[in-house]
Amino acid sequence: MKLYSLSVLHKGASKANLLKAAYDLSSFSFFQRSSVQEFMTFTSSLIVERSSHGSRASVKEQEYLCHVYVRNDSLSAVVIADNEYPSRVCFTLLDKVLDEFSKQVDRIDWPSGSPTTINYTALDGYLAKYQNPREADAMSKVQAELDETKIILVSSVNYMI
Amino acid sequence: MAESEEEVDVLVERVVKDINNALKKNPNIDEIGLIPCPEARYNRSPIVLVENKLGVESWCIRFLLPYVHNKLLLYRQRKLWLDKDALIDITCTLLLLNPDFTTAWNVRKELIQCGALSPEKDLYLGKLALSKFPKSPETWIHRRWVLQSLIQECCPSKACKERSGAVAVTAAQTERLQRILQEEMKACSEAAGRYPSNYNAWSHRIWVIQNLAKDNKKIFLDELSSMKYWVSMHVSDHSGFHYRQFLLKSLVGDPGHMLDKTASALQSTSNEHCASLPKEEEASAEIQRTVVPDLFDEELELCTDLIESYPGHETLWCHRRYVFFLWHHWNHKQGAPLNSSDRPLDNSSATTGGKSAQAMDVDGMMDPNKQVYTQETKRLKRGPLQGCQDLPTEHRFITKTLTDCRSTEQARFAIAYQKWLESVLGQ
Repeated sequence: MKLYSLSVLHKGASKANLLKAAYDLSSFSFFQRSSVQEFMTFTSSLIVERSSHGSRASVKEQEYLCHVYVRNDSLSAVVIADNEYPSRVCFTLLDKVLDEFSKQVDRIDWPSGSPTTINYTALDGYLAKYQNPREADAMSKVQAELDETKIILVSSVNYMI
Repeated sequence: MAESEEEVDVLVERVVKDINNALKKNPNIDEIGLIPCPEARYNRSPIVLVENKLGVESWCIRFLLPYVHNKLLLYRQRKLWLDKDALIDITCTLLLLNPDFTTAWNVRKELIQCGALSPEKDLYLGKLALSKFPKSPETWIHRRWVLQSLIQECCPSKACKERSGAVAVTAAQTERLQRILQEEMKACSEAAGRYPSNYNAWSHRIWVIQNLAKDNKKIFLDELSSMKYWVSMHVSDHSGFHYRQFLLKSLVGDPGHMLDKTASALQSTSNEHCASLPKEEEASAEIQRTVVPDLFDEELELCTDLIESYPGHETLWCHRRYVFFLWHHWNHKQGAPLNSSDRPLDNSSATTGGKSAQAMDVDGMMDPNKQVYTQETKRLKRGPLQGCQDLPTEHRFITKTLTDCRSTEQARFAIAYQKWLESVLGQ
Protein backbone atom coordinates (compact mmCIF):
# COMPACT_ATOMS: atom_id res chain seq x y z
CA MET A 1 0.00 0.00 0.00
CA LYS A 2 2.06 2.92 -1.22
CA LEU A 3 1.90 6.47 -2.49
CA TYR A 4 4.66 7.36 -4.92
CA SER A 5 4.07 10.93 -6.01
CA LEU A 6 1.90 13.92 -5.26
CA SER A 7 1.82 16.89 -7.64
CA VAL A 8 0.02 20.16 -8.05
CA LEU A 9 -0.41 21.46 -11.59
CA HIS A 10 -2.24 24.16 -13.46
CA LYS A 11 -4.28 23.04 -16.42
CA GLY A 12 -3.48 25.53 -19.16
CA ALA A 13 -5.26 25.91 -22.46
CA SER A 14 -3.03 23.39 -24.21
CA LYS A 15 -0.53 22.20 -21.64
CA ALA A 16 -0.35 21.38 -17.95
CA ASN A 17 2.11 23.37 -15.87
CA LEU A 18 3.79 21.67 -12.92
CA LEU A 19 3.74 23.88 -9.84
CA LYS A 20 4.98 21.57 -7.10
CA ALA A 21 5.70 17.89 -6.63
CA ALA A 22 6.75 15.43 -3.94
CA TYR A 23 8.03 11.90 -4.48
CA ASP A 24 8.59 8.82 -2.37
CA LEU A 25 10.60 6.41 -4.46
CA SER A 26 12.19 4.50 -1.59
CA SER A 27 10.55 1.26 -2.65
CA PHE A 28 12.19 1.34 -6.07
CA SER A 29 15.70 0.11 -6.77
CA PHE A 30 18.17 2.87 -6.28
CA PHE A 31 19.32 3.09 -9.88
CA GLN A 32 15.79 3.12 -11.24
CA ARG A 33 14.59 6.06 -9.21
CA SER A 34 15.46 8.90 -11.57
CA SER A 35 13.73 7.29 -14.54
CA VAL A 36 10.72 6.38 -12.41
CA GLN A 37 10.46 9.99 -11.26
CA GLU A 38 10.61 11.21 -14.85
CA PHE A 39 7.85 8.79 -15.78
CA MET A 40 5.65 10.00 -12.93
CA THR A 41 6.18 13.67 -13.68
CA PHE A 42 5.38 13.11 -17.34
CA THR A 43 2.33 10.94 -16.66
CA SER A 44 0.88 13.38 -14.12
CA SER A 45 1.13 16.17 -16.66
CA LEU A 46 -0.39 14.08 -19.44
CA ILE A 47 -3.33 13.02 -17.31
CA VAL A 48 -4.15 16.58 -16.29
CA GLU A 49 -3.98 17.69 -19.91
CA ARG A 50 -6.41 14.97 -20.93
CA SER A 51 -8.88 15.45 -18.07
CA SER A 52 -11.75 17.89 -18.24
CA HIS A 53 -12.42 20.70 -15.81
CA GLY A 54 -14.38 19.70 -12.74
CA SER A 55 -13.56 16.00 -13.04
CA ARG A 56 -12.09 13.31 -10.89
CA ALA A 57 -10.62 10.14 -12.35
CA SER A 58 -8.57 7.08 -11.50
CA VAL A 59 -6.28 6.11 -14.34
CA LYS A 60 -4.51 2.80 -14.46
CA GLU A 61 -1.03 3.00 -15.96
CA GLN A 62 1.21 -0.07 -15.82
CA GLU A 63 1.05 -1.27 -12.24
CA TYR A 64 0.17 2.17 -10.86
CA LEU A 65 -3.08 3.96 -10.22
CA CYS A 66 -3.06 7.69 -10.89
CA HIS A 67 -5.81 9.63 -9.18
CA VAL A 68 -6.50 13.07 -10.58
CA TYR A 69 -8.71 16.00 -9.62
CA VAL A 70 -9.01 18.92 -11.98
CA ARG A 71 -10.92 21.82 -10.44
CA ASN A 72 -13.08 24.22 -12.35
CA ASP A 73 -10.51 26.94 -11.76
CA SER A 74 -7.87 24.79 -13.53
CA LEU A 75 -5.95 23.99 -10.37
CA SER A 76 -5.20 20.26 -10.45
CA ALA A 77 -3.55 17.58 -8.40
CA VAL A 78 -2.40 14.06 -9.17
CA VAL A 79 -1.40 11.33 -6.76
CA ILE A 80 0.20 8.15 -8.06
CA ALA A 81 -0.38 5.09 -5.89
CA ASP A 82 -0.24 1.31 -6.10
CA ASN A 83 -3.36 -0.80 -6.51
CA GLU A 84 -3.81 -1.55 -2.80
CA TYR A 85 -4.07 2.03 -1.63
CA PRO A 86 -7.74 3.00 -1.15
CA SER A 87 -8.76 5.50 -3.80
CA ARG A 88 -11.18 7.27 -1.48
CA VAL A 89 -8.37 8.43 0.73
CA CYS A 90 -6.50 9.65 -2.36
CA PHE A 91 -9.37 11.90 -3.37
CA THR A 92 -9.66 13.30 0.13
CA LEU A 93 -5.97 14.07 -0.03
CA LEU A 94 -6.27 15.79 -3.42
CA ASP A 95 -9.15 17.94 -2.18
CA LYS A 96 -7.23 18.92 0.90
CA VAL A 97 -4.03 19.79 -0.92
CA LEU A 98 -5.72 21.93 -3.56
CA ASP A 99 -7.78 23.72 -0.95
CA GLU A 100 -4.69 24.60 1.03
CA PHE A 101 -2.59 25.42 -2.03
CA SER A 102 -5.16 27.82 -3.42
CA LYS A 103 -5.18 29.71 -0.12
CA GLN A 104 -1.41 29.94 0.13
CA VAL A 105 -0.42 30.61 -3.45
CA ASP A 106 -1.82 33.51 -5.48
CA ARG A 107 -3.96 32.59 -8.45
CA ILE A 108 -1.89 34.88 -10.62
CA ASP A 109 1.15 32.64 -10.16
CA TRP A 110 -0.55 29.46 -11.30
CA PRO A 111 -0.26 29.65 -15.10
CA SER A 112 3.43 30.51 -15.15
CA GLY A 113 4.81 29.19 -11.87
CA SER A 114 7.34 26.37 -11.48
CA PRO A 115 8.54 24.24 -8.56
CA THR A 116 11.42 26.66 -7.96
CA THR A 117 9.27 29.79 -7.88
CA ILE A 118 6.20 28.48 -6.05
CA ASN A 119 6.21 28.82 -2.28
CA TYR A 120 4.29 25.82 -0.97
CA THR A 121 6.09 23.29 1.16
CA ALA A 122 3.44 20.97 2.56
CA LEU A 123 3.50 18.30 -0.16
CA ASP A 124 6.37 16.21 1.25
CA GLY A 125 4.70 16.14 4.64
CA TYR A 126 1.38 15.04 3.20
CA LEU A 127 2.99 12.32 1.11
CA ALA A 128 4.77 10.96 4.17
CA LYS A 129 1.74 11.18 6.43
CA TYR A 130 -0.63 9.55 4.00
CA GLN A 131 1.60 6.51 3.44
CA ASN A 132 -0.51 4.97 6.15
CA PRO A 133 -4.08 5.78 5.11
CA ARG A 134 -5.56 4.94 8.49
CA GLU A 135 -3.30 7.26 10.42
CA ALA A 136 -3.92 10.03 7.96
CA ASP A 137 -7.65 9.99 7.73
CA ALA A 138 -10.62 8.53 9.54
CA MET A 139 -12.12 6.16 7.00
CA SER A 140 -15.67 6.76 8.07
CA LYS A 141 -15.43 10.43 7.29
CA VAL A 142 -14.20 9.71 3.82
CA GLN A 143 -16.90 7.21 3.04
CA ALA A 144 -19.60 9.71 3.81
CA GLU A 145 -18.23 12.64 1.87
CA LEU A 146 -17.50 11.50 -1.60
CA ASP A 147 -20.00 10.48 -4.23
CA GLU A 148 -18.22 7.66 -5.96
CA THR A 149 -20.42 7.56 -9.01
CA LYS A 150 -18.82 10.76 -10.21
CA ILE A 151 -15.31 9.30 -10.35
CA ILE A 152 -14.29 8.19 -13.80
CA LEU A 153 -12.33 4.97 -14.05
CA VAL A 154 -9.88 4.76 -16.92
CA SER A 155 -7.97 1.61 -17.75
CA SER A 156 -5.06 3.34 -19.44
CA VAL A 157 -3.75 6.79 -20.19
CA ASN A 158 -3.92 5.85 -23.86
CA TYR A 159 -7.69 5.76 -23.69
CA MET A 160 -7.89 9.37 -22.60
CA ILE A 161 -8.56 11.64 -25.54
CA MET B 1 34.11 0.46 -30.45
CA ALA B 2 35.38 -2.89 -31.66
CA GLU B 3 37.21 -4.82 -29.02
CA SER B 4 39.72 -7.55 -29.68
CA GLU B 5 39.56 -10.72 -27.66
CA GLU B 6 42.52 -9.72 -25.52
CA GLU B 7 40.97 -6.34 -24.84
CA VAL B 8 37.74 -8.01 -23.74
CA ASP B 9 39.68 -10.34 -21.45
CA VAL B 10 41.51 -7.46 -19.84
CA LEU B 11 38.31 -5.45 -19.49
CA VAL B 12 36.37 -8.30 -17.93
CA GLU B 13 39.12 -9.21 -15.51
CA ARG B 14 39.19 -5.58 -14.42
CA VAL B 15 35.42 -5.49 -13.95
CA VAL B 16 35.42 -8.68 -11.89
CA LYS B 17 38.16 -7.19 -9.75
CA ASP B 18 36.27 -3.91 -9.39
CA ILE B 19 33.11 -5.66 -8.24
CA ASN B 20 34.91 -7.76 -5.66
CA ASN B 21 37.05 -4.89 -4.43
CA ALA B 22 33.94 -2.76 -3.99
CA LEU B 23 32.37 -5.52 -1.91
CA LYS B 24 35.53 -5.97 0.15
CA LYS B 25 36.00 -2.27 0.79
CA ASN B 26 32.39 -1.62 1.67
CA PRO B 27 30.77 -4.36 3.75
CA ASN B 28 27.61 -2.29 4.04
CA ILE B 29 26.52 -2.65 0.44
CA ASP B 30 22.90 -3.70 0.60
CA GLU B 31 21.63 -3.42 -2.94
CA ILE B 32 22.75 -4.09 -6.49
CA GLY B 33 21.31 -2.66 -9.66
CA LEU B 34 21.69 -2.29 -13.38
CA ILE B 35 22.35 1.19 -14.74
CA PRO B 36 20.91 1.65 -18.21
CA CYS B 37 23.92 2.88 -20.14
CA PRO B 38 24.20 1.72 -23.74
CA GLU B 39 27.74 2.93 -24.34
CA ALA B 40 30.87 3.18 -22.26
CA ARG B 41 31.81 6.73 -21.50
CA TYR B 42 35.46 7.68 -21.23
CA ASN B 43 37.69 5.00 -19.88
CA ARG B 44 35.80 4.49 -16.67
CA SER B 45 34.89 1.36 -14.81
CA PRO B 46 31.28 0.28 -15.31
CA ILE B 47 31.07 -0.37 -11.59
CA VAL B 48 29.43 2.47 -9.71
CA LEU B 49 29.17 2.70 -5.95
CA VAL B 50 26.73 5.21 -4.48
CA GLU B 51 25.58 5.22 -0.86
CA ASN B 52 25.91 1.47 -0.28
CA LYS B 53 24.30 0.70 -3.64
CA LEU B 54 26.39 -1.15 -6.18
CA GLY B 55 25.53 -0.47 -9.80
CA VAL B 56 26.74 -2.06 -13.02
CA GLU B 57 26.48 -0.11 -16.25
CA SER B 58 24.58 -2.13 -18.78
CA TRP B 59 27.06 -1.74 -21.65
CA CYS B 60 29.53 -4.14 -20.09
CA ILE B 61 27.10 -7.01 -19.49
CA ARG B 62 27.40 -8.46 -22.97
CA PHE B 63 31.14 -8.80 -22.50
CA LEU B 64 31.12 -9.71 -18.86
CA LEU B 65 28.49 -12.38 -18.55
CA PRO B 66 29.51 -14.78 -21.36
CA TYR B 67 33.17 -14.54 -20.34
CA VAL B 68 32.76 -15.41 -16.65
CA HIS B 69 30.05 -17.94 -17.46
CA ASN B 70 32.40 -19.71 -19.84
CA LYS B 71 35.30 -19.60 -17.45
CA LEU B 72 33.29 -21.30 -14.73
CA LEU B 73 32.06 -24.01 -17.08
CA LEU B 74 35.64 -24.70 -18.23
CA TYR B 75 36.65 -25.05 -14.59
CA ARG B 76 33.78 -27.45 -14.03
CA GLN B 77 34.86 -29.49 -17.03
CA ARG B 78 38.37 -29.60 -15.58
CA LYS B 79 39.74 -27.80 -18.62
CA LEU B 80 40.82 -24.85 -16.55
CA TRP B 81 42.21 -24.53 -13.09
CA LEU B 82 41.01 -21.73 -10.84
CA ASP B 83 42.21 -21.16 -7.31
CA LYS B 84 39.77 -20.64 -4.47
CA ASP B 85 39.93 -16.85 -4.49
CA ALA B 86 39.34 -16.70 -8.23
CA LEU B 87 36.39 -19.05 -7.83
CA ILE B 88 34.90 -16.88 -5.12
CA ASP B 89 35.30 -13.74 -7.23
CA ILE B 90 33.94 -15.30 -10.40
CA THR B 91 30.93 -16.97 -8.80
CA CYS B 92 30.19 -13.74 -6.97
CA THR B 93 30.19 -11.76 -10.21
CA LEU B 94 28.12 -14.39 -12.01
CA LEU B 95 25.49 -14.68 -9.32
CA LEU B 96 25.01 -10.94 -9.03
CA LEU B 97 24.18 -10.91 -12.73
CA ASN B 98 22.26 -14.18 -12.87
CA PRO B 99 21.46 -15.76 -9.52
CA ASP B 100 19.60 -18.64 -11.10
CA PHE B 101 22.84 -20.13 -12.40
CA THR B 102 22.82 -23.24 -10.22
CA THR B 103 26.34 -24.35 -11.17
CA ALA B 104 27.79 -21.22 -9.60
CA TRP B 105 25.92 -21.84 -6.35
CA ASN B 106 27.13 -25.43 -6.38
CA VAL B 107 30.74 -24.33 -6.74
CA ARG B 108 30.17 -22.17 -3.69
CA LYS B 109 28.73 -25.15 -1.82
CA GLU B 110 32.03 -26.96 -2.43
CA LEU B 111 33.97 -23.91 -1.24
CA ILE B 112 31.93 -23.82 1.95
CA GLN B 113 32.43 -27.52 2.54
CA CYS B 114 36.21 -27.24 2.28
CA GLY B 115 36.23 -24.21 4.53
CA ALA B 116 37.41 -21.70 1.94
CA LEU B 117 34.19 -19.70 2.12
CA SER B 118 32.29 -18.70 5.21
CA PRO B 119 28.55 -19.53 5.18
CA GLU B 120 27.72 -16.07 6.46
CA LYS B 121 29.56 -14.48 3.54
CA ASP B 122 27.64 -16.69 1.17
CA LEU B 123 24.32 -15.76 2.77
CA TYR B 124 25.29 -12.13 2.35
CA LEU B 125 25.85 -12.62 -1.37
CA GLY B 126 22.45 -14.25 -1.61
CA LYS B 127 20.86 -11.26 0.07
CA LEU B 128 22.51 -8.94 -2.43
CA ALA B 129 21.30 -11.02 -5.34
CA LEU B 130 17.78 -10.97 -3.88
CA SER B 131 17.83 -7.18 -3.79
CA LYS B 132 17.62 -7.26 -7.55
CA PHE B 133 16.03 -10.67 -8.08
CA PRO B 134 13.70 -11.07 -5.10
CA LYS B 135 12.10 -14.23 -6.41
CA SER B 136 15.18 -16.08 -7.66
CA PRO B 137 14.33 -19.72 -6.88
CA GLU B 138 17.89 -21.00 -7.02
CA THR B 139 19.02 -18.38 -4.53
CA TRP B 140 16.41 -19.42 -2.00
CA ILE B 141 17.10 -23.12 -2.56
CA HIS B 142 20.83 -22.65 -2.10
CA ARG B 143 20.15 -20.57 0.98
CA ARG B 144 18.36 -23.48 2.57
CA TRP B 145 21.33 -25.74 1.90
CA VAL B 146 23.64 -23.29 3.67
CA LEU B 147 21.27 -22.93 6.60
CA GLN B 148 20.88 -26.70 6.83
CA SER B 149 24.63 -27.16 7.04
CA LEU B 150 24.85 -24.42 9.65
CA ILE B 151 22.14 -26.09 11.72
CA GLN B 152 24.02 -29.39 11.55
CA GLU B 153 27.21 -27.63 12.55
CA CYS B 154 25.61 -26.01 15.58
CA CYS B 155 23.37 -28.80 16.74
CA PRO B 156 24.65 -32.35 16.88
CA SER B 157 22.37 -35.00 15.41
CA LYS B 158 19.75 -36.72 17.46
CA ALA B 159 21.81 -39.93 17.61
CA CYS B 160 24.66 -37.96 19.08
CA LYS B 161 22.31 -36.46 21.63
CA GLU B 162 21.07 -39.78 22.86
CA ARG B 163 24.56 -41.21 23.18
CA SER B 164 26.01 -38.36 25.16
CA GLY B 165 22.87 -37.88 27.24
CA ALA B 166 23.03 -34.12 26.86
CA VAL B 167 22.73 -31.58 24.09
CA ALA B 168 26.14 -30.08 23.42
CA VAL B 169 24.85 -26.73 22.23
CA THR B 170 27.01 -23.94 23.46
CA ALA B 171 25.68 -20.49 24.24
CA ALA B 172 27.74 -19.08 21.37
CA GLN B 173 26.14 -21.49 18.90
CA THR B 174 22.65 -20.71 20.15
CA GLU B 175 23.40 -17.04 19.76
CA ARG B 176 24.76 -17.62 16.27
CA LEU B 177 21.59 -19.46 15.26
CA GLN B 178 19.46 -16.72 16.78
CA ARG B 179 21.30 -14.09 14.78
CA ILE B 180 20.93 -16.16 11.64
CA LEU B 181 17.21 -16.56 12.29
CA GLN B 182 16.80 -12.81 12.62
CA GLU B 183 18.82 -12.23 9.45
CA GLU B 184 16.64 -14.67 7.52
CA MET B 185 13.46 -12.98 8.72
CA LYS B 186 14.89 -9.69 7.53
CA ALA B 187 15.92 -11.11 4.14
CA CYS B 188 12.43 -12.57 3.66
CA SER B 189 10.73 -9.32 4.62
CA GLU B 190 12.82 -7.30 2.22
CA ALA B 191 12.25 -9.71 -0.64
CA ALA B 192 8.52 -9.80 0.13
CA GLY B 193 8.46 -6.01 -0.06
CA ARG B 194 10.19 -5.99 -3.43
CA TYR B 195 7.73 -8.20 -5.24
CA PRO B 196 4.02 -8.64 -4.56
CA SER B 197 2.93 -12.04 -3.26
CA ASN B 198 6.50 -13.29 -3.34
CA TYR B 199 5.73 -16.96 -2.86
CA ASN B 200 9.39 -18.01 -2.81
CA ALA B 201 10.29 -15.56 -0.07
CA TRP B 202 7.37 -16.52 2.13
CA SER B 203 7.87 -20.26 1.62
CA HIS B 204 11.46 -19.77 2.66
CA ARG B 205 10.31 -17.92 5.74
CA ILE B 206 8.09 -20.86 6.67
CA TRP B 207 10.97 -23.29 6.14
CA VAL B 208 13.25 -21.20 8.37
CA ILE B 209 10.70 -21.07 11.16
CA GLN B 210 10.11 -24.79 10.88
CA ASN B 211 13.81 -25.63 10.97
CA LEU B 212 15.40 -22.94 13.10
CA ALA B 213 12.60 -22.36 15.58
CA LYS B 214 10.99 -25.76 15.70
CA ASP B 215 9.47 -25.93 19.15
CA ASN B 216 9.87 -22.34 20.10
CA LYS B 217 6.28 -21.23 20.54
CA LYS B 218 7.38 -17.77 21.55
CA ILE B 219 8.93 -17.15 18.14
CA PHE B 220 5.72 -18.22 16.43
CA LEU B 221 3.76 -15.81 18.62
CA ASP B 222 6.29 -13.04 18.04
CA GLU B 223 6.08 -13.53 14.29
CA LEU B 224 2.29 -13.45 14.39
CA SER B 225 2.40 -10.20 16.29
CA SER B 226 5.19 -8.51 14.34
CA MET B 227 3.68 -9.29 10.92
CA LYS B 228 0.38 -7.64 11.77
CA TYR B 229 1.52 -4.26 10.55
CA TRP B 230 3.06 -5.69 7.40
CA VAL B 231 -0.08 -7.47 6.27
CA SER B 232 -2.16 -4.39 7.11
CA MET B 233 -0.07 -2.47 4.63
CA HIS B 234 -0.15 -5.24 2.01
CA VAL B 235 -3.79 -6.22 1.97
CA SER B 236 -3.62 -8.00 -1.36
CA ASP B 237 -0.51 -10.00 -0.59
CA HIS B 238 -1.91 -13.47 -0.41
CA SER B 239 1.44 -15.03 0.55
CA GLY B 240 1.71 -12.74 3.57
CA PHE B 241 -1.64 -13.87 4.85
CA HIS B 242 -0.81 -17.48 4.06
CA TYR B 243 2.17 -17.07 6.40
CA ARG B 244 -0.18 -16.01 9.18
CA GLN B 245 -2.33 -19.04 8.42
CA PHE B 246 0.73 -21.26 8.76
CA LEU B 247 1.68 -19.68 12.11
CA LEU B 248 -1.86 -19.99 13.42
CA LYS B 249 -2.18 -23.57 12.32
CA SER B 250 1.12 -24.49 13.96
CA LEU B 251 0.18 -22.83 17.22
CA VAL B 252 -3.29 -24.27 17.17
CA GLY B 253 -3.15 -27.38 15.04
CA ASP B 254 -1.99 -30.43 16.89
CA PRO B 255 -1.55 -29.83 20.61
CA GLY B 256 -0.36 -33.40 21.20
CA HIS B 257 2.35 -33.11 18.62
CA MET B 258 3.83 -29.90 20.02
CA LEU B 259 3.69 -31.31 23.49
CA ASP B 260 5.49 -34.51 22.52
CA LYS B 261 8.30 -32.50 21.02
CA THR B 262 8.55 -30.21 24.01
CA ALA B 263 8.55 -33.19 26.35
CA SER B 264 11.29 -35.09 24.50
CA ALA B 265 13.44 -31.98 24.13
CA LEU B 266 13.25 -31.40 27.86
CA GLN B 267 14.04 -35.03 28.59
CA SER B 268 17.24 -34.98 26.60
CA THR B 269 18.51 -31.73 28.07
CA SER B 270 18.59 -32.83 31.63
CA ASN B 271 17.45 -35.90 33.54
CA GLU B 272 17.22 -34.02 36.82
CA HIS B 273 14.32 -32.07 35.42
CA CYS B 274 12.28 -35.22 34.97
CA ALA B 275 10.18 -34.39 37.98
CA SER B 276 9.01 -31.15 36.42
CA LEU B 277 8.15 -32.82 33.11
CA PRO B 278 4.43 -33.40 33.73
CA LYS B 279 4.05 -29.76 34.76
CA GLU B 280 5.52 -28.55 31.45
CA GLU B 281 3.05 -30.72 29.58
CA GLU B 282 0.14 -29.45 31.59
CA ALA B 283 1.28 -25.88 31.26
CA SER B 284 1.42 -26.30 27.49
CA ALA B 285 -2.07 -27.74 27.40
CA GLU B 286 -3.39 -24.95 29.56
CA ILE B 287 -1.74 -22.41 27.28
CA GLN B 288 -3.46 -24.22 24.44
CA ARG B 289 -6.87 -23.72 25.94
CA THR B 290 -6.53 -20.10 27.03
CA VAL B 291 -4.17 -18.62 24.47
CA VAL B 292 -5.62 -20.26 21.39
CA PRO B 293 -9.12 -18.74 21.54
CA ASP B 294 -7.44 -15.37 22.03
CA LEU B 295 -5.35 -15.97 18.93
CA PHE B 296 -8.45 -16.70 16.88
CA ASP B 297 -10.13 -13.70 18.42
CA GLU B 298 -7.34 -11.37 17.43
CA GLU B 299 -6.98 -12.84 13.96
CA LEU B 300 -10.66 -12.48 13.13
CA GLU B 301 -10.66 -9.00 14.59
CA LEU B 302 -7.69 -8.06 12.40
CA CYS B 303 -9.45 -9.53 9.40
CA THR B 304 -12.69 -7.67 10.13
CA ASP B 305 -10.82 -4.43 10.64
CA LEU B 306 -9.00 -4.75 7.32
CA ILE B 307 -12.08 -5.84 5.38
CA GLU B 308 -13.95 -2.80 6.65
CA SER B 309 -11.11 -0.37 6.04
CA TYR B 310 -10.08 -1.65 2.63
CA PRO B 311 -13.09 -2.87 0.71
CA GLY B 312 -12.71 -5.06 -2.34
CA HIS B 313 -9.63 -7.16 -1.55
CA GLU B 314 -10.28 -10.84 -2.12
CA THR B 315 -7.19 -11.86 -0.15
CA LEU B 316 -8.80 -10.64 3.06
CA TRP B 317 -11.92 -12.69 2.45
CA CYS B 318 -9.86 -15.80 1.65
CA HIS B 319 -8.00 -15.26 4.89
CA ARG B 320 -11.26 -14.99 6.77
CA ARG B 321 -12.45 -18.31 5.35
CA TYR B 322 -9.29 -20.03 6.47
CA VAL B 323 -9.30 -18.57 9.97
CA PHE B 324 -12.96 -19.25 10.54
CA PHE B 325 -12.64 -22.79 9.23
CA LEU B 326 -9.64 -23.45 11.47
CA TRP B 327 -11.50 -22.01 14.45
CA HIS B 328 -14.56 -24.08 13.66
CA HIS B 329 -12.45 -27.23 13.37
CA TRP B 330 -10.48 -26.54 16.55
CA ASN B 331 -13.62 -25.71 18.45
CA HIS B 332 -15.14 -29.02 17.49
CA LYS B 333 -12.05 -30.94 18.59
CA GLN B 334 -12.02 -29.18 21.95
CA GLY B 335 -15.72 -29.45 22.60
CA ALA B 336 -16.16 -33.20 22.14
CA PRO B 337 -13.23 -35.19 23.57
CA LEU B 338 -15.54 -38.03 24.57
CA ASN B 339 -16.34 -38.69 20.94
CA SER B 340 -12.71 -39.52 20.25
CA SER B 341 -13.70 -43.00 19.08
CA ASP B 342 -14.88 -41.73 15.70
CA ARG B 343 -11.77 -39.55 15.34
CA PRO B 344 -8.70 -41.73 15.94
CA LEU B 345 -6.24 -38.87 15.48
CA ASP B 346 -7.80 -37.00 18.38
CA ASN B 347 -7.09 -39.75 20.89
CA SER B 348 -3.72 -38.39 21.94
CA SER B 349 -4.90 -34.84 22.38
CA ALA B 350 -8.03 -35.96 24.17
CA THR B 351 -6.17 -38.01 26.74
CA THR B 352 -3.47 -35.42 27.20
CA GLY B 353 -6.15 -32.80 27.55
CA GLY B 354 -7.92 -34.94 30.09
CA LYS B 355 -4.84 -35.40 32.22
CA SER B 356 -4.14 -31.69 32.08
CA ALA B 357 -7.68 -30.82 33.04
CA GLN B 358 -7.31 -32.94 36.15
CA ALA B 359 -4.07 -31.33 37.17
CA MET B 360 -4.93 -27.72 36.35
CA ASP B 361 -8.54 -27.67 37.41
CA VAL B 362 -8.70 -25.35 40.40
CA ASP B 363 -12.32 -26.18 41.09
CA GLY B 364 -11.13 -29.60 42.08
CA MET B 365 -13.23 -31.50 39.56
CA MET B 366 -11.24 -34.64 38.91
CA ASP B 367 -13.79 -36.25 36.65
CA PRO B 368 -12.67 -36.22 32.98
CA ASN B 369 -16.34 -36.22 32.00
CA LYS B 370 -16.54 -32.74 33.42
CA GLN B 371 -13.83 -31.50 31.06
CA VAL B 372 -16.34 -30.08 28.60
CA TYR B 373 -18.18 -28.19 31.32
CA THR B 374 -14.95 -26.79 32.71
CA GLN B 375 -13.89 -25.52 29.32
CA GLU B 376 -17.27 -23.97 28.69
CA THR B 377 -17.38 -22.20 32.04
CA LYS B 378 -13.88 -20.94 31.52
CA ARG B 379 -14.80 -19.64 28.10
CA LEU B 380 -17.94 -17.98 29.38
CA LYS B 381 -16.08 -16.52 32.33
CA ARG B 382 -13.73 -14.80 29.92
CA GLY B 383 -16.62 -12.81 28.60
CA PRO B 384 -18.05 -12.43 25.12
CA LEU B 385 -15.48 -13.02 22.42
CA GLN B 386 -15.64 -10.40 19.75
CA GLY B 387 -16.37 -11.72 16.30
CA CYS B 388 -14.93 -15.09 17.02
CA GLN B 389 -17.94 -17.13 17.77
CA ASP B 390 -20.03 -18.98 15.32
CA LEU B 391 -22.07 -18.92 12.17
CA PRO B 392 -24.69 -16.40 13.34
CA THR B 393 -21.94 -13.89 14.11
CA GLU B 394 -20.43 -14.40 10.70
CA HIS B 395 -23.79 -13.99 9.01
CA ARG B 396 -24.32 -10.76 10.92
CA PHE B 397 -20.92 -9.56 9.74
CA ILE B 398 -21.83 -10.36 6.14
CA THR B 399 -25.16 -8.54 6.41
CA LYS B 400 -23.49 -5.49 7.90
CA THR B 401 -20.87 -5.48 5.14
CA LEU B 402 -23.51 -5.72 2.43
CA THR B 403 -25.48 -2.86 3.96
CA ASP B 404 -22.51 -0.56 4.41
CA CYS B 405 -20.42 -1.26 1.39
CA ARG B 406 -20.35 0.81 -1.76
CA SER B 407 -17.99 -1.38 -3.73
CA THR B 408 -19.45 -3.95 -6.09
CA GLU B 409 -16.47 -6.20 -5.53
CA GLN B 410 -16.86 -6.10 -1.79
CA ALA B 411 -20.51 -7.11 -2.17
CA ARG B 412 -19.52 -9.95 -4.48
CA PHE B 413 -16.93 -11.26 -1.99
CA ALA B 414 -19.37 -10.99 0.90
CA ILE B 415 -22.03 -12.96 -0.94
CA ALA B 416 -19.51 -15.60 -2.00
CA TYR B 417 -18.40 -15.92 1.62
CA GLN B 418 -21.98 -16.38 2.68
CA LYS B 419 -22.48 -19.15 0.13
CA TRP B 420 -19.25 -20.79 1.26
CA LEU B 421 -20.34 -20.75 4.89
CA GLU B 422 -23.62 -22.35 3.99
CA SER B 423 -22.23 -25.05 1.73
CA VAL B 424 -19.00 -25.93 3.53
CA LEU B 425 -19.99 -25.56 7.12
CA GLY B 426 -23.64 -26.04 6.27
CA GLN B 427 -25.68 -25.98 9.40
